[in-house]
Formats: sequence, C-alpha cells, structure tokens
Amino acid sequence: MRPKLVLAALSALALTVAAAGCGGSDSGADDKTITIAYQKFGSFIQLDKQLQDVKKEYEAAHAGYTVKLLPIEASENDYYTKLSLMNRSPKTAPDVMYEDTFLINTDIQAGFLAPIDEYLSGWKDWSQFTDAAKAAGKAQDGKTYGVPMGTDTRALWYDKGIFQKAGLTVPWEPKSWNDVLTAARAIKQKVPGVTPLNVYSGKGAGEGATMQGFEMLLYGTKHTLYDDAQKKWIVQSPGFNDSLNFIKTIFDEKLAPAPQDALDPNWGTKVNTELFPTGKLGISLDGSWVSSTWLESGSKPWPEWNDKLGYTAMPTQNGEAPGKISMSGGWLLSVGANAKDKKASFDFVATMLNKENTKKYDIAAGQIAERKDVAADPEYLKSNPSLKFFTDLVEVTKFRPAYPDYPNVSNGIQVAMESVMTGQQSVDQAAKTFAESTTAAVGGPDKVTTAQ
Amino acid sequence: MTQTLAPPPPVKAKSRPTADLTMPGRGPMRFAVYLVLVIVAIAFFLPFLWLVVASIQPGAALSADITWQFSFKNFADVLNVDTIFRPVLNSLIISGGTALITVFAATLAAYPLSRYRSRFGRLFLYGILFSTGLPITAVMVPVYTMYSQFELTDSVPALILFMAASSLPFAIWMMKNFMDSVPVELEEAAWTDGAGWFQSLRRIILPLMIPGLTVVFVFTFVTQWGNFFVPFILLQSPESQPASVTIYTFFSTYGQVAYGQLAAFAILYTLPVVLLYTAMSRVFGGAFSLTGAVKG
Amino acid sequence: MTTSTAPRAARIGAFAPALLLLAVFFAGPLIWAVYSAFTDVALTGSAEVNFIGVDNFTTMWNDAQFWNSLWLTLIFVVGSAVIGQNTLGLLIALLLRGRSQSARGLVSGLVIAAWTVPEVVAGFCWYSYLHRDGTLNGILGWVGLDQNWLYTTPMLAVILANVWRGTAFSMLVYQAALNDVPPELHEAAAVDGASAWQRLRRVTLPLIRRSIVSNLMLITLQTLAAFGLIYVMTKGGPGNKSSTTPIYMYQESFQFYKLGYGTAMALVLLVIGAIFSLIYVRLIKVDNL
Repeated sequence: MRPKLVLAALSALALTVAAAGCGGSDSGADDKTITIAYQKFGSFIQLDKQLQDVKKEYEAAHAGYTVKLLPIEASENDYYTKLSLMNRSPKTAPDVMYEDTFLINTDIQAGFLAPIDEYLSGWKDWSQFTDAAKAAGKAQDGKTYGVPMGTDTRALWYDKGIFQKAGLTVPWEPKSWNDVLTAARAIKQKVPGVTPLNVYSGKGAGEGATMQGFEMLLYGTKHTLYDDAQKKWIVQSPGFNDSLNFIKTIFDEKLAPAPQDALDPNWGTKVNTELFPTGKLGISLDGSWVSSTWLESGSKPWPEWNDKLGYTAMPTQNGEAPGKISMSGGWLLSVGANAKDKKASFDFVATMLNKENTKKYDIAAGQIAERKDVAADPEYLKSNPSLKFFTDLVEVTKFRPAYPDYPNVSNGIQVAMESVMTGQQSVDQAAKTFAESTTAAVGGPDKVTTAQ
Repeated sequence: MTQTLAPPPPVKAKSRPTADLTMPGRGPMRFAVYLVLVIVAIAFFLPFLWLVVASIQPGAALSADITWQFSFKNFADVLNVDTIFRPVLNSLIISGGTALITVFAATLAAYPLSRYRSRFGRLFLYGILFSTGLPITAVMVPVYTMYSQFELTDSVPALILFMAASSLPFAIWMMKNFMDSVPVELEEAAWTDGAGWFQSLRRIILPLMIPGLTVVFVFTFVTQWGNFFVPFILLQSPESQPASVTIYTFFSTYGQVAYGQLAAFAILYTLPVVLLYTAMSRVFGGAFSLTGAVKG
Repeated sequence: MTTSTAPRAARIGAFAPALLLLAVFFAGPLIWAVYSAFTDVALTGSAEVNFIGVDNFTTMWNDAQFWNSLWLTLIFVVGSAVIGQNTLGLLIALLLRGRSQSARGLVSGLVIAAWTVPEVVAGFCWYSYLHRDGTLNGILGWVGLDQNWLYTTPMLAVILANVWRGTAFSMLVYQAALNDVPPELHEAAAVDGASAWQRLRRVTLPLIRRSIVSNLMLITLQTLAAFGLIYVMTKGGPGNKSSTTPIYMYQESFQFYKLGYGTAMALVLLVIGAIFSLIYVRLIKVDNL
C-alpha cells in the first residue's frame, strides 16, 4: 500500500518531466514554418512594420509555409544577447535573423549561420548588389553568410534655429574638432535651456556610443583600432587619448547632456523623438537613419524636420585630409545554421530584399541603398532630402574591424568613455584600463600593439 | 534574572506584553515611538507615490510633475491581449504550476525530516540549508546551457520544473519547521491504531498544516510571480513570456517616455499577488506570518 | 523522540520527488558549472570548447573589476541585509508591540506591501523615486539636497531599495519571535529595577537569539544573490559603481559571451554562500538537525 503511493507520486513527477521534455514543441519549429528574429526597440519600428507586410507576401506566394515573426524588444546590447541565447539551441534558433555586420564573423565562428552561396548563385538579383555590399556578408572562409539590407553613414545634425540664435553661420561647415567645440560653447553661452552637443557615450548607448561617438572621433585622428598589416588590435595610441579627451571636455564643460541622461539606454530615442523636435538640442553626432523617425512612416512624424535641421560632415581632428570622416555599418539578413528548410528561409530573405521591398525599407528606415537598381530609383532618391548628403559620405567612410573580438573591444571603449564622462577616471587612467582589459579580452599581449 | 522558570502559560493571541525599552506607555517616550512609526510609514509609502499617481495621469513621464488631470486612460491603453492578458495568464500558469509542484514535493520530503532522525535526513537538511544560499544567477548560466543541450529552452513545463527545484530548498525548510510545530502525540495515537506514516501524514498532519501549506504555496507563488531573470533566459518566444519579463521589456523600451502606462501595467501586474496575500491574511487572521517557518 | 513505524524504504521514498527535482534541475547544473568553470565555453564566437585548467581563476585573481564587484557585494549584503533589514525589522517589530490595531495595521501593511511587490516593479518605484525629477528630490528640493541619487550614490540607492523591499521578512520573523517571549520575564526584570534598555538586551534579545541567527542567515544568503533589483535600477552603473558580483557575472557571461569565465565567478559566489551557510548552521546548533 505505502510503497504504491510513493510509486504513484514518483510516476506523476516522471510524467511531468516527460511532458516538459516534449512540451515546447509549439514554438513553431516544424518544417513549414519560417521563424524570423529581429530587433524592435523604441523608435526603431520600421523593420517590424515591413516584415509584417513581407510575411503576407511570402505566405501568399509560398503555399503551405507560415512565417513566424519573433520581434525582440530590447536595446542593442540586449538584442545580441537574446539572439545568441536563441541561437545556441537548435530548437529556438531562428531560421532567418537580423544580423549586425560587426557581429557576423562572431556568429559564423560559433556555427550559428549557414552559408548561402548555392542559393545566391541562382538569385538573379544578387548581381545588383555593390561589391562592398557583397563583401559585408563574406566570411574569412570565402563563403557568404548574409544579404545586406542597406548601409549607413554618420555625421553632425544641427538645429538651424539654435545656430542663428547663437550667432553661428548656417550652413555650418566645421573644419576641425575645435570648430565643433567652439560652436557648442557659443550655444551654451547664448541659448540657455538647450543641450549644446550630443555625442553618444557610455554603456547605455551600447554600440552606438562606440560607433557614433568614439570611432567617429578616433578614425578622424591618425589612428584606428586595428593594425591590418600586423593583424593586431591597437590598444594604445595618442589618437585614442585625444578622442577620450574630447569626450571628457564636452562633459566637463557641460556642453554634453548630463551624464545620467546620456547613460540611459533610452537616450537615443529621447534625442530624436523629443529633444530635436522640440528645439532643445543644438548639435548631435548621429546616423544617417535618424530622419526616418520623422517621416510619416516613422514613430515621431515631424514634417518640418528638413527646414529646422541641417547636417554636415564630421571633421577630422585638425582638418587632416580628406577633411571629413564617417563610419559605416549596416545590417544583414542571414539564414540560421539550424534552419530546417534553408531554401525556403533564403527565399524569405530574397523576398524581403527584392528591389521593391529593399526600396521600401531603405526609404522607411533611412538606409543607404546597396542595390544599384534601388540607388538609381527616382522614388528612392526623392524620398529623403538628406539622402544625397549621406550617400556622398560613403567616399570617406570607414568600417569597423569586424573580428570576433570586436564586441569586447567595443565594450572596453564604452567603459573608458563612461569612466571619463562620469569623472571616475582621468583620460590617462581610462586609456590604461582599456589597454589592460582589452589585452586580456582578446587573448594576450601578442594579439595587441601600440601606435605612436 | 534567574533562568529557572516554569514553562510559560499559554499565550493568548491578544495578550498584552509588558513594557520594555520600546513600550514606556506614556509621556515623551510614547510620543517618540509614534514619531518613529510615522516616519517609517512615510518612508515606506513614498516610493510607491509616483507609481500610483502616474498611473492615473494621462501622459505621465518619469518626472514627478502632477498635472491634476486624472483618468484611467493609461489602464485602458495597456489592457489588451499582448500587453496584459497573455503575460498575466502565462505568469499564472508558471507561478501556479511551480507552487503546486513545490508544495507537493516539499510536504513529502518535510515529513520524514520532521518526524524521524536519520543520518540521511541530517545530511539532506544540511544540503537544503546550503542550497538556499546559492545565488540563482550563478546557476542560470549552466542551467541555460544544460537546457539548450536537451532542447528544453523555450518550454514552459521545463521552466516550471527548474523553478520548482530552485524553490524547493527554502520550501522544505519552511515546511519542516511548520511540521515540527504539529504535536507528535496526535500521530502516535494514530500509529497505535495501526495507521501508516502516509496515512498519518494525510489524515492528521495535513489538516493541521493547512496554514503552513498555504504559506509555502503563497510564498513560492509570490516569489516566482516576481521572478524575471529565469524566464528571461530560459524562454525565447515572445508569446510565452510571463508578465515579469514583458514589464521589464516595456520599462527598458518605453520607461522614460510612457511612465504612466508602465505604472498602470505595474499596478495591474502587482494586484494579483497583493490580493492573494491580503486574502490569506484575512483567512488566517492577523497572525499570519512566516511564524512557523523561520523560527529555526 | 519518536518511535518509527514506517519502513525505511518508504521514508526514503518520501524524499524521492524532491530529490529527483533537486538532482536533475539543481545539482545537474551545478556539476556542469564545476566543469565549465575550467573551460572557455562561449555564448558565441567559437563553436568549440577547450579545457583551460585554472585560467579563469587566475584571470579572476588579477581582475580588478572582479575584486571591486566582490567588495560591492559585501557592502550590499552588510548594508542592506545585516544592518538595514535586520535592524529595521527588529525595531519595527519592537515598536509595534502593544500598539493599537490601526497603527499595527497601517505600518506593517505598508512594510509588507513593499515586500509583496515584484522586484521589477520595486525597481520601477525606486527608479522614479530617486530620479532627478522624482518624488524624493521634490521633497529634498526644499532643502537644496536634490540630486540624481541613482547616479551620484548608486550603492546607497540600491541598498535603500533593498532595505525597503526586504524589511518585511525580518519584521515578520521578529514579530513571531516576540510573541513567544513570556511577559512575566519583563515584569520580573522591571521589578529588579532593570532599565528598558537592559531589559531589551538581557531578556528579550537572548530569548529571540535563535530567530535572529536564522533570520540573518536567510537574508544574507538571499541578498548575496540579489540581481533583479540592481539590474533594473542601475544595471551596475554608472561605470561599475554598483556592479555587484551577480551583475558582473551576468555581464561577462551574457554580454561579453564568456560563459566559462562567468561560471567560474558563479562558483566563487557559491563557495562564499556555502561558507556563510555553514557559519550560520553552526551558530544555530539546532539539536534535531
């Protein structure tokens, strides 16, 4: 009698365990369902909108297939974490995913992505992509792992009204970092209640701080982050310290927003949905895509934006040739290594990135087209007055060293920025900490070098 | 001062203890005590203030600026399937399932721990005590990897089993202490009548243990209702996320901008556990507490 | 104490469900953790896992950030649990004795309300409370002390929030314990001419010693693992000013993909928890344990 009861209890538990084992099969992993993982955050809603349309289009054209959208609502850093967590298990790995160009090598090495060369060769649209675009998805093994959705550049946005009030000339053409600081100081002095200069900084902004903030400075000095000849990370250089010093200067002189605001992960959303539209921000170092927020399809329509705001290239440190600098990134759509039906998954990528849909997305999300047919399309060219300016920056643009260690290096930069902006460390201390932590993070002293 | 005292007379529920430091009864000391209590009450109330006010202020932001316009618009805005109903239902399933399994396993394990002395039980109890100290974040990394190995990520039942396992040490500890307070004489009577241990557990102890079982259930339920880290890591599909995760996502995405809606969401999400707790205190009287649980 | 009538097998059998759950879902990951602490397993960036010996631990030894996180964890545990929750809980329990029903209901109601609130919501409450334009500054603004507390004093902020959230537990434990203190003892002591403070120190506290010890154990161990509240309020920032070990571990594992290193840190935390646990278990000296 008694042992029987125990047995019953035990088997009840065993049943629960078994149920758990086969429980989660509702997550859409069957062969005819294509799961798409992508980011949706704050004012970045354009991709979500478009994927919903493409889902309908795809399902209509591919009878029997269902597209399951998995929008990941997270800031940039959290998005990478969540995507990696999903990718590590075959059951949750998405079939198609939205990948940042800088992370693609990391994910390829982890075995998360599938090469798509065999499908690309049968896709006539592939010839429309520029060579640079084709290279973005190409790994060190020579295979291609992703189709680019568009690229971007970065520059200075500024409020013309505030400039006039501050007695500054419009259009503004700064020739050096000093010109930028001078303008910001003039705004601080003459236009109270306005944040003079926004440069993303610290861990809250994530990769945005590294790329829109720090690298836009660093790559305008004589130095960079990676020595291609030696294949080593540059962990110490005068340019690095100068860039940190620029950050320190703007926060010390209160030209920048209060550090506690700048450190908020929602700060980027606030800048473009609140501060610029209400005339509370003088200058912002930001991406080519931000105007998409103010289009009718964006999260904060602001029809007058092009009259109120100007844009100009970020100057190099002391005006060194070519006088201006930009950084480019961009995102790709990749097929997961665990995708059950890779052909169908690729077909979704091909549908999403055909000419019409690429055009729609690039317009809505403020992306610079990487398809020649889209780039030449009159509708695209007319869609956004800032487009020509940002497309022309491609001439001077630089790319991040997209090696698997880059995320670690990028984080080290964010930490260094954060410690100087909050006054926790001096520029020299922060640079020293960066050199030490990065050396450890990338695998020891023989993987790094210094520059003079 | 002598310690040789007769066993204390049964303490009546409302017996008024005599004064010591804190109970002078009158005069300035009495005033001081009330002053401290008022300060404590205010200090505990203030952090709630803006959350409550913002929830009924349309367009409230993080800044505590009262506009004196009140409406339930924020509640209306979040009362939809995606924001509230599905996540709260998921939370109910996850926390309820966890609490049920925990109470079941803890009761069975606590009985022999409370009633028999054995090397095994002693060891087990040490293990249990030790486990209550394990930082859950510490095991999350290996749990995640283990789950992905066995394809258990994104499975709600598997999540529930992990949560139950992690609630068990404390639940068993509480349950054992509750059982210790049930006089063994009652069972001895049953044993002489020939009842087995399971029968005496079921017929004698469990009825007396209803408050204890409820406390363990509610404690587990409330803890898991608020647990966001474990489902955040182990569940991937947006539609199976409990409210603890979706509200965190909501906060990190719209916290600055739509604090009023966040506040409304937070209140709706908190309400079930507060009601549960209040209902339980009513049923078991003001004396409900972790009394039996942590006397050590 | 009791005479057993149950067969040994059945007694052990009663442990089975709990044991099974704990073995599979608790001990399993722990054993896996011990293994992976000695590997370079990564969230992404590499598909292979290498055994790297004690490298993770030597890295940790030389990692100033790790030591910083351990120090912050100690401050957090001592500040919010040992001093904050424990003392405040005892104080409230003492002050509430014999007060009117309404006073008891109001004060303990509010204290308990803070405890029942899910930790993410507690995080929101404190985030907005301590924010630059928050309620606290609205009050302190009159005396010119307003500032963004999450930014200027992040550790104090998370400690206060955790005291707020956790005091109810200690209060309930002490209310229960004080209920069991026989009033006659106080009367006897009062007759002997002991002052109120002496009565508290010589009579009340020794009698509730065991409650104090077990309460301290439980809250210390729970605070050691605290993650959600700090994560919601500061994410460990600004810089690393409130990055306690659980936060640092999460960051290393899931944001910089170093699962192996994060797991090694987890092991260290587990060992610290174990030491605390053992000290307290010894202190309790529960005779039937």
